[in-house]
Amino acid sequence: MTDLLSNLGLGFAVALSLQNVALCFLGCLVGTLIGVLPGVGPIATIAMLLPITFGLDPVGALIMLAGIYYGAQYGGSTTAILVNIPGEATSVVTTLDGHQMARQGRGGIALGTAAIASFFAGTVATVLIAALGAPLTRLALIFGPAEYFALMVMGLAFAVVLAHGSVLKAVAMILVGILLSSVGTDLETGQERMTFGFAFLTDGVDFSVLAMGLFGIAEILRNLDQSETRDVVRAQIGRLLPGVAELKQATPATLRGTAIGAILGILPGNGAVLGPFASYTIEKKIARDPSRFGRGAIEGVAGPESANNAGAQTAFIPLLTLGIPPNAVMALMVGAMTIHGIVPGPGVMTKNPNLFWGMIASMWIGNLMLLVINLPLVGLWVRLLKVPYRLMFPAILMFCSVGIYSIGSQPTDVMLIGVFGLMGYLLIKFGFEPAPLLLGFVLGKLMEEYLRRSLTLSRGDLMIFLERPISAVLFVIAFAIIAAALLPSMRKSRDEVFTEA
Amino acid sequence: MPHLQPSRRAILAGGLAAAAALPLSARAQGAYPTRPITLIVPFAAGGSTDVVGRLVAQKLSEVLGQQVVVENVVGAGGNVGAARVAKAEPDGYTILMGTVATHALNPLILKRKPYDPVTDFAPVALLAVVPNVLIVNPSLPAKNVQELIALLKADPKKYNYASSGIGTPLHLSGELFKSMAGVQMQHIPYRGSGPALNDVVAGQVPIQFDNLPSASEFIRAGTLRALAVTTKERAPSFPDVPTLAEAGLPNYETYTWNALFAPPGTPRPIVDALNAAARKALADPALVERLKTFSAKVQLSTPEELGEHVKAETAKWTPVVREAGIQAD
Repeated sequence: MTDLLSNLGLGFAVALSLQNVALCFLGCLVGTLIGVLPGVGPIATIAMLLPITFGLDPVGALIMLAGIYYGAQYGGSTTAILVNIPGEATSVVTTLDGHQMARQGRGGIALGTAAIASFFAGTVATVLIAALGAPLTRLALIFGPAEYFALMVMGLAFAVVLAHGSVLKAVAMILVGILLSSVGTDLETGQERMTFGFAFLTDGVDFSVLAMGLFGIAEILRNLDQSETRDVVRAQIGRLLPGVAELKQATPATLRGTAIGAILGILPGNGAVLGPFASYTIEKKIARDPSRFGRGAIEGVAGPESANNAGAQTAFIPLLTLGIPPNAVMALMVGAMTIHGIVPGPGVMTKNPNLFWGMIASMWIGNLMLLVINLPLVGLWVRLLKVPYRLMFPAILMFCSVGIYSIGSQPTDVMLIGVFGLMGYLLIKFGFEPAPLLLGFVLGKLMEEYLRRSLTLSRGDLMIFLERPISAVLFVIAFAIIAAALLPSMRKSRDEVFTEA
Repeated sequence: MPHLQPSRRAILAGGLAAAAALPLSARAQGAYPTRPITLIVPFAAGGSTDVVGRLVAQKLSEVLGQQVVVENVVGAGGNVGAARVAKAEPDGYTILMGTVATHALNPLILKRKPYDPVTDFAPVALLAVVPNVLIVNPSLPAKNVQELIALLKADPKKYNYASSGIGTPLHLSGELFKSMAGVQMQHIPYRGSGPALNDVVAGQVPIQFDNLPSASEFIRAGTLRALAVTTKERAPSFPDVPTLAEAGLPNYETYTWNALFAPPGTPRPIVDALNAAARKALADPALVERLKTFSAKVQLSTPEELGEHVKAETAKWTPVVREAGIQAD
């Protein structure tokens, strides 16, 4: 305990230096900005800013880059609530109730709730990283390929249950997502699959290309299509701070969301994306009146928002303690550390205590700054979002194209976001949800990898999934979720819930 | 790497010569470079090639007096970026950070070749080499290479080894080990060395071939046991770890390397200017030190030596790739 306190003391001493506070602020501000603007994600931004950090000292550089990442989570919620476009993949769920609240003139409360829930989750996650960093790495270590595969199956089971509308359409979308994920070079044999001889498909379809097309471009098309349902909320933003009754509703959801998000964030394999989905499902399931969800339920904002922020921060645990990046942004952080001559891994905590504890302390400071940046600046973000479509759409398209091009310098990526944009538009028109497709895409790639690896390790014996206790339990949960969703009585209530959502 | 042996002496001689000669040759050619140079890194930002590329580009900018801008052109295991340079204007303003993957392994593995590593490039200079390392989970009852070979021979079907992916230098280092030691292990490919290390540390897979830089912290922490490095000489950062050649596999040698290439037909004065600039950049002690922190060793060459090096590497890997049976369409 005294160790922890002295470590945190060291961290705050590092993080509170004038330079580091300034860098943390800069990172949070840039992060919020790119989070607000759909299409420009933290991955593209961090990749573009990496060279600029050469001149900084490593601690300051990483503090700034981390600020961009979790700042984007905050900013992403602002767009999700006010424009119904998830600025980041993790704020997809926030659109469901947050945007409804905004339409009802409770946009300010939705934003305030999101910011407070995120701040609370960020604080808890910071303490969690500090206290449990070392022991929790063992959790990641007991997860072998079989356990990961079981986890992914469970994730997809959640996706089916969570999807809007018909189960059949959700399953179809998940399968299309899995199919898309199998494009590219086979990991085990090196053979090309479904590339039709195109060189740009040999590495498969990029996640950000797919997401930007399906959500960003398709959203623009849909808005053009119905010129008057402009989604930037015209209703009053209203007061920002939730009242006592609203806080009472939001608090338990925030607590549960934080716990779910924190746990999923630690698991490598982009568990953080799953957090908001899981939190939303749970809130809806345990609510006394589930029909409020999708109509502006405050729990539907507080839960997922706390989950995504907790997950975004606990994702640093595998990075800082094992040197293993759980997602693309963390992979860039590995790069940033390497550029500065720090080898990410178990040695960071002992060899670079300044960096390790400084970053942790800066995360809490950053979260505090974000609360301060976001609430008073909401007016500014709203004005930014109220820019007329004829100016905003070309700007978003340009940002999307520049952002995508900057990642791999591939003109074909820019064309692909157009193709996926059109596809997303058609899917919406035909009543298919793009979210399960995206989840199927992300999990499909990993699932195939873990399935085949498990089977190679077991020399083809399927029992490997049942012999291992964690994997067996996860499978049981997955089947229980699906079975529950298929039961006639459950199905009826589920359909009611989602048709209204 | 016998053909490279003189280059260490050449570093000293060349470094001095370059320091003296650069202003002269720069004047002789007139203007090059008069505008920013694009250095294409054919891998994603943050990877080891990208890090080497960015460090070198920064120093090259100072030496050449023009910005050297890194552009990550990713895809097809480095082939997309390499192919772009192969087809670029041969004016010295588009150059490539090539590796053992783009200039030896990929052309051997792919049936549909986007370029020829020898004829489609003007070699400029070898820059750095990075050792690979054979590591095992500490619970494996093998304290050295001979014990590992005995273990693998005793139960040829039991053991797996991890690598950062099919057709990578690490996978092929494993295949070369299998064929030279006459043992069997099942290859388990991962997406990059990070996830592979995770599973080896956790004991899901007992054995791995990895780049020394990414594995070094685990070795120091004792969570992984290094049995041997794959280079001809021991790594300065791990003087106690023997080489595979010392451990009983004479002539075993693999490593990852980075080198500068220009498009084919680039005029000789420009190639020479780039080569001289690379020598000058890598003579900077701070840069050498920085590269050393992740076990990359500066190893310079002339353009001709690099050309020979590409041919020698291709010759060395051809039988290994064939034996591993990993040729793709």
